[in-house]
Parts: sequence; structure tokens; C-alpha cells
Amino acid sequence: MALAEFLNTLDELAKQATAQFEAAADAVSLEAARVEFLGAKSGRLKDVQKGLGQVDKADKPAAGKRFNEVKQQLETLFSAATKRIANGGCVETASDFDPTIPGKRPVLGHLHPITQTIEELVDIMGRLGFTVAEGPEIEDLWHNFDALNIPLEHPARDPLDNFYLATAETMSGQNKTEPKWMLRSQTSTVQIRVMEKTQPPVRIISLGRVYRPDTADATHYPMFHQIEGLLIDRHVTMADLKSILRLFAESFFEDDVHVRFRPSFFPFTEPSVEVDMSWAGDWIEFGGAGMVDPNVLRAVGYDPEEVSGLAFGLGIERICMRRHGITDIREFYKNDVRFLHQF
Amino acid sequence: MIVSWNWLKQYVPLDMPHAELETRLMMAGLNHEGTEDVAGDLAIDLEVTSNRPDCLGHLGVAREIAVLWQKPLSIPTAEPKADGPPVDDLVKVQIDCPGLCGRYTARVVRGVKIGPSPGWMTRRLRTIGLAPINNVVDISNYVLMECGQPLHTFDFGKLKGSQIIVREPKAGETIEAIDHHTYRLEPGMCIIADGEDPVAIGGVMGGAATEIADTTTDILVEAAEFDPLSIRHTARALNLHSDSSYRFERGIDSEGIDWASRRCCELILELAGGQLCEGVVDVGAPLAERKPIVLRLNQIERILGIPVPAEEVRKILADLGNVEIRAEAKQVEVIPPSWRRDLTREIDLIEEVARIHGYDEIPEDAGVPMVASTRRREDRVASKIRTVLTAAGYDEAVTLSTVDAETAATFSPWTDAEPLASRSPVLRGADRLRLSLVPSLLEARRTNEALSESRIELFEIAKVYLPRGKKLPDEQRMLGLCSGGSFEEVKGVIEAMLAAINPAVHWETADASFDLFSNGRCCRLLLDGQLLGILGELRPEGLKRFGLRHEATVAELNMALLVQMAQLIPTYTPLPAYPAVSRDLNLVVDERVRWADVAKTVAATSEPFFEELQYQDTYRDPERLGAGKKSLLMTLVLRGSEGTMTNEQADELRNRIVAACGRKHGAELRA
Repeated sequence: MALAEFLNTLDELAKQATAQFEAAADAVSLEAARVEFLGAKSGRLKDVQKGLGQVDKADKPAAGKRFNEVKQQLETLFSAATKRIANGGCVETASDFDPTIPGKRPVLGHLHPITQTIEELVDIMGRLGFTVAEGPEIEDLWHNFDALNIPLEHPARDPLDNFYLATAETMSGQNKTEPKWMLRSQTSTVQIRVMEKTQPPVRIISLGRVYRPDTADATHYPMFHQIEGLLIDRHVTMADLKSILRLFAESFFEDDVHVRFRPSFFPFTEPSVEVDMSWAGDWIEFGGAGMVDPNVLRAVGYDPEEVSGLAFGLGIERICMRRHGITDIREFYKNDVRFLHQF
Repeated sequence: MIVSWNWLKQYVPLDMPHAELETRLMMAGLNHEGTEDVAGDLAIDLEVTSNRPDCLGHLGVAREIAVLWQKPLSIPTAEPKADGPPVDDLVKVQIDCPGLCGRYTARVVRGVKIGPSPGWMTRRLRTIGLAPINNVVDISNYVLMECGQPLHTFDFGKLKGSQIIVREPKAGETIEAIDHHTYRLEPGMCIIADGEDPVAIGGVMGGAATEIADTTTDILVEAAEFDPLSIRHTARALNLHSDSSYRFERGIDSEGIDWASRRCCELILELAGGQLCEGVVDVGAPLAERKPIVLRLNQIERILGIPVPAEEVRKILADLGNVEIRAEAKQVEVIPPSWRRDLTREIDLIEEVARIHGYDEIPEDAGVPMVASTRRREDRVASKIRTVLTAAGYDEAVTLSTVDAETAATFSPWTDAEPLASRSPVLRGADRLRLSLVPSLLEARRTNEALSESRIELFEIAKVYLPRGKKLPDEQRMLGLCSGGSFEEVKGVIEAMLAAINPAVHWETADASFDLFSNGRCCRLLLDGQLLGILGELRPEGLKRFGLRHEATVAELNMALLVQMAQLIPTYTPLPAYPAVSRDLNLVVDERVRWADVAKTVAATSEPFFEELQYQDTYRDPERLGAGKKSLLMTLVLRGSEGTMTNEQADELRNRIVAACGRKHGAELRA
């Protein structure tokens, strides 16, 4: 058989099949058309395929190619017609397509805003060369107080200001025994633990939960999160402290931010300062900072004549509340999903 | 500390606007809390840090102002004329508890006339929020607010035996204080007694019996020093806090006691008349000598990052009251002032230089050396887990680390030990350090159910605190899940998460039994024989325990193991060159036969062509399959690594698999 003859037959078949597939108004007539043209045993396409064997050998590739094209075309037409009939016979046209109907959304969960703030802070500090360190939340008094230059008679150790852990004696009603452990009141404990087993230079941020017996109200909660930075090396100065905090603030506020120090007092730093940052035309309180007190350096076996250090700390809830306009700290721990879905 | 603008002017010229004063003081360490106009005077509220009790009086604040603005400071000399008989002849003082009271001084003024204070004094007191009482009481308050040294005035005529004994209370002693409450005194407190009874709670509050009345004529003026710790305990124990106790808790100027006493007597003579007895009864150990401090000038730049000229350093220190005893090219040596007990070390002097020189002088653009930091493995794994769980529709919760004792007892998969407890609850009865996150998450679920939330899917990554006897507890980070979905749904989320952190990991399930869970609807997850976690559906009693109305499934997984098993940097496997062939299998087995065992046999028998075994369904029909039987439907995906697998090969393999499952599990191919 000549190629032209074969192709003519094929085209004629394609034309008829197209007309019938498009005309089919219901599943029965479509099925009839399918059997007629695409039927596996005696469909007309099958017949044409048999003719393929009689095409001249040299023309076979061209004939085969065209045959496959037509076959695919008919199958596509058939499936479009099937879909059309399944949809109640409607053809999708501009007039009945409404793109404003809501899409089908997958349900996504939300990360807690505290986590999001922590991730942001850790990310920025990471770019400034600080690596995260963690330590226990239940601490001995050495790490929470003594090593941080908070001696036995210091008011910060008052039982009313700390969560000391009960022992067998206190459980049985005797409250006078000396406490051994406590829920840490600050994450500086981690800095001590890192310095105890690392030689300088040290450049870490410690973060996590801390506990203080505040009555829960809009701005206080007995558990909250802190993040603290520590850098120990030779020649570390307050200018480094100010500069690091400024870089941090510029990253966090994505703006040209300045840093201001006001004198303050913390047992574990000397000099100690409160840090303010200029933002939106105002000075906002950022947290506490200072140069690591020589007593702290000595407590972990460093020589304050050899190395110096800077430290800074801030409350994560406060930053998070300001960032998102949250007005009640208790919302963080209620875990109302309507609250969580806002972040 | 509230200071009066007019009062301050007595000691230092104030020719700056008050806003400038407030700002500059704030930048030097006295935080500005607010300013109020009180009858033409200004009440300026300053926050004084606990290391600066010297600023708990107007003179201390005036001294700061004088240093900052370079103004002269004028301090009253307080040299009252004493022309009465020697005070030693009139009164005896003894200290029985030198640990609680280091020094006690007494002066006596006789023949005073009690009456109202003059206007200038009542105005100043009112400005700072003190109500005037009478001239003598007002004077003692005034001097306290002037120099920070608390004073007390007794009606000398009412002190029995004309003596003062400073001692601890005897058993059962009580005192009615001037607030007309009666306080029960306990050992460890320091009281002031006359020959018979307590007449004051030392350093905290005077007694009603000896307080100054309109009829009082003779006065004993007490100026003393009490132990800060003991004052704090006493004030806390009695819940009685006063301007006196506040200052004694922070420590007073030991060397300023006598000035305050003289100043008080001077004002009494001036405003209430009378005659001051000669001398003072002064009981206490000799004052310790103040130790000199050496400041190496190069240390200033070493710590601050900027140099401060030597001349300026010496001037700042001198202005603040330090007495220079030696000045060399590289260092100065000073004796700190008696009112600055916080200055004992070189670093303390550096801070003084810094705050007066000004922290604004420190640059904020120093070139801090760059160093590499690494993200910790545990943080990277946690982040991956959070990504999967939020994608699966779970919200992240953060719950309190403590629960109450009963709640702690509901679920403890990791230890049999009793939880640790804090001495006081962290919040409403929650004093147990939790052993599992699950109870907290169930409580969060209840909160949301009460709000009629329909979809409550929560997870939390936080620590549990597993007791270890004498050692600090083992703080293990856990991943907790709490869902309204079924066991299978939550298990699916866990499987997806495990696959995300390590696609090749092999873990197993094992039976479990917990009071909280339905029998047969819970399991343990094992990783190389170690307990990776627990998963279970709550039984009705468990739901009731947590006040839940709807079904809940919970799980808890050990983060340490998840971190350990995670494969953070996957290795590339070349993509297969040949197509896969799949075969459906429908095996009928006894009800007791478990999927995992059948799956293992199928996989093992399929080697080396095994690619994947997909579970499809379990089908039960006693009529067609027989009682106690089920059929497991699965799709097996096979692939050859050397060439395309033929249908014949696949069929042959399937037959071998069916035979193996028949041998091992009694399985039959369902036609």
C-alpha cells in the first residue's frame, strides 16, 4: 500500500471520530463511539493498524509516526468527552468558571510565636558568630548564684524570689533545710557551665526557660524565656559590646538603629548597663548587659588579667510581645489555637 | 527614691531645666521614673539600684548632680550646741547581739516642745509623699530622707530604767508598733528594749508605748546600724516594710551615723527647742579601716575600649569622694568614700569613670572579629520536625514545665520515680516537675475544647525532668503530640516525620499498656531496641480524667534519639535505569498474624528485586474468608538493577513470596 493511501484513510478516520466524540451527548453514545473507533478487538483504528503492515517498508516509520499521533489525538478527545459528560454535559467556558470561589487549602499548623522569635534571634546571633549553648533548667546553687558573684547573703537568693526544690525533709513539713537545687532564675547558669569546661575564646548564646515567683498578670509569668550572649577573649571591650548589640539591633529591626547604655547593676557584670535601642524615633529598653565581673571569670578558672568578656541578656517574651503587639504575656501559655493561628 | 527639687537646691545649685537633670541623672545611673508637680515643687522619682544606697537620700543625689554639672556641694555641718549634762550619766546602752546590730548611738535632748513643723519642712515632706506628724517625728524622717540614715526618736521619759538593750526577743514577746499592730517577735530578730520590754523592732519600726506624744519633753535619738540580712528577714517575716528597713537592707554609711544623729539634734533644738546633753553614747566595734584601691590607668581602655585622660580619671574619682593617696604615671591609688561600700576593686572604679565620663563616648562601630558559628545538630533536627508537623497541620504549644501532683501521676512512660517538686507551686498547685509533656498537652486540649474549637492538633518540644537520686535530674527533651485524629492518623504523622529526618531508618512497634490508653490501641516505638516513644488513643476514663469530650490520641517521642537517628546530609543514590514492575497481593492469614511480620517475609523473599511494599487495606469477611481470618491487601514494587524485570520473573517471584508466607504465616493467596 502506498503511504498516501494509508494516510488518507487515517485522516478520514480521525475526522469522523472527532465529530462523533464531540457530538456524543451521553455516556451511552460516547461508549458506542469508543467501541467503533477505539475498540480493542474490532475498532476501526485497529483495522487501520493492520493496514500498517502493508505499507512499503521505507515508508513505515512515517506511517507509524502518524498513526501514533492520531491514536493519541483520539484518546485525548475521548477522555475530554468523558470528563465533559461526567460534569453534567457542561463545557468549561469563561462564563461558568468562577475564579473567586475559595481554593481548597491544606491545613497548615503554626509555630508558637516564642519559637519564631527565638529562631529569629538565634539566626541573627549565629550570623554574628555566636553558637547556641544549653544547660539544665534544674540547677545547683553554685551555678545559679555563687559562680555568678551572688554570695549567700545576697537578696537575690531570697526564698520568696526563687523556686527552690523540695527535698525529702521539706516534703515532710520541715522547711528549714538548706535547699540544694532550684529552677534556674536566669540562663547565665549555662555560661558558667560552658566556661567551666571550655578555654577562651568563648562566643555563645544561651537560651531557654527560666523561673521566678512572679504572680501571673499581663506582664509577668512565673516561667519565661531568656536569651543571653557571652563573648570571652583577649581584648574584649565595652566598645565591642556596644557594636555587637548595634549590629544585632540593625538586623532585628531592619533599620539604622543606635544603641545607648545606661548604668545599672547586676552581680555578674561590672560595669553593668541597661541597653536601649533607638527605634521609630524613640528609645526602647532592650535588656541588660555588661562586662563579665572578674569574680565570675575567676570562679570558672579564667584569669581576668588575661581575658575579658562581655555579656548581654534579654527576655524573649518582651521582645516577642513588642514585635507582634501582644498585650498579655499569659496568652503565650494558654495555647488557644486561635491565638497560635495568628502567627 | 522621690526627691524634691526645692530640697535638692539647698545642697547644690540647680540652674538647669528639670528635664535635663532627669536625663543626665538617668544616663549616670539614676533611672527616671516620673516627675510630678506638688504644690509648686517637683517630686522627681528616681530608681536607685541596690548597689547605690548612698542615693537613698537627697544629699547623695545632690552629690551626683554636683559631680555631673561641676557644681559646689554644700553639706550642713551639723554641730549642735550641747550644753546639757553628759549623756553618759543619763542613759546606758548595751548590745547583746553584736551580729545583728553593729553600732548603736544615743543622744538625749531635754525640755523640747512638741508641736507642728514649720512650713518649709512640711512642704518638703509632702512633696516626697510623707505626711507630717509633729516636729520631732518629722525631723527624724527629714534627716532620713536627707542623708539616708534611718533614725528613731523615743520618749525618753517612758524608757524604763533609762536604758537601751539591743537584744533578740525572749520567748513569746510581742510589741505594738507605731502602726498600732501587734507583732509577734521571734528569735533571730533584733529588738530595742528598755529595762523591761521591747520598745522598737530594731531598724524596722518603733513601738507605740514610747512614741513621741504631745506631752513628750525629753527625747532619746537613736542612730544605729543593723545587719542587712537580719533586717530583711525580719521585715519579710512580719510583713512590715518601712523607709528604715529599706535602707538598712541595702546597707548604710557606717561613718555617717554620727552626722545624722547630730543633724537630727541640731534640727530639734532649732524647731522644738530644748537642751542637748553633752556627748554621745556610742556602743559598737571600732570602724574598719577602708582599704585603698589601685587603678591601673591602662585597664580603663582595656575594659571600656576607649582611653580616658589621667587627669579626668583623677578628677572624677576625687569628685565622687575618693581620697587620692598616690598618683603615678600609670596608676592612681585612692581610698573610697565611706558612703560607697560598693567600691572595693579596680573594676568598680573603672565603672565609676565610665558612667561619669559617659557611656555615649563609647563607639558603637568597633570592628569585632568575625568567627564561624555552627548550628547545632539538635536545633537542625528540631527545625525539620517542626516543618513536618506544621505541614501536617499541627500547631506548636508551649506549656508550663510543672503540673500538679495528681496530673503528674497520670502518665509517666520514662520513669517509675516520683517527680521532683518545687517548694512552692510555680502556678496554682503546679509544683511537680513534669515527667511527660502529654498531661500538659491534654490540658491545653481541654482549654481549646472549652472554647469550642473543632480542630485541636498540638505538639510541643520541651524537657521532662527524670529524677536520678542524688544527681541533678536527667533533663530529656521530648516531642509531644496531642490530636483529635485516630491512632492510625497520628502514627502516619510520626512515620512521615521519621521519614523526613531519615528515610532509611528502621524502627519497630511493640505492645504497650498504660492506664491512660485503650487496650490494643497503643504501642511503643522502638529504635534498635531503645524506647523511641509511646503512642496511644485515650480510653474513656482517660478522657474523663482530663475533662475531654472528644476522642484524643497522644504520642511522646524522645528527641535525643530522633537527633541521633537523623540523617541531615543524605547521600545520593543513582536513579534506577530500568522500569519497576508491581504486583498486587491479597494474602489471607489468621487474625493473630501481624502485618509487620508478613511484610518482613515479603521483603526478604523479594531480594534483590525488592523496592517497596505498600500496605493497601485489611479485609474481613467471616463468610468468605472464614472466622478469625483476614486478608491483607498490598502492592509490591519490584525492580531489577541489571535489566528490565520481565512479567515472567515477577510472577515467579510472587509465587515464591506466596509460598514463603504460607510456610511462615499460614498465608494463602486469595483468588
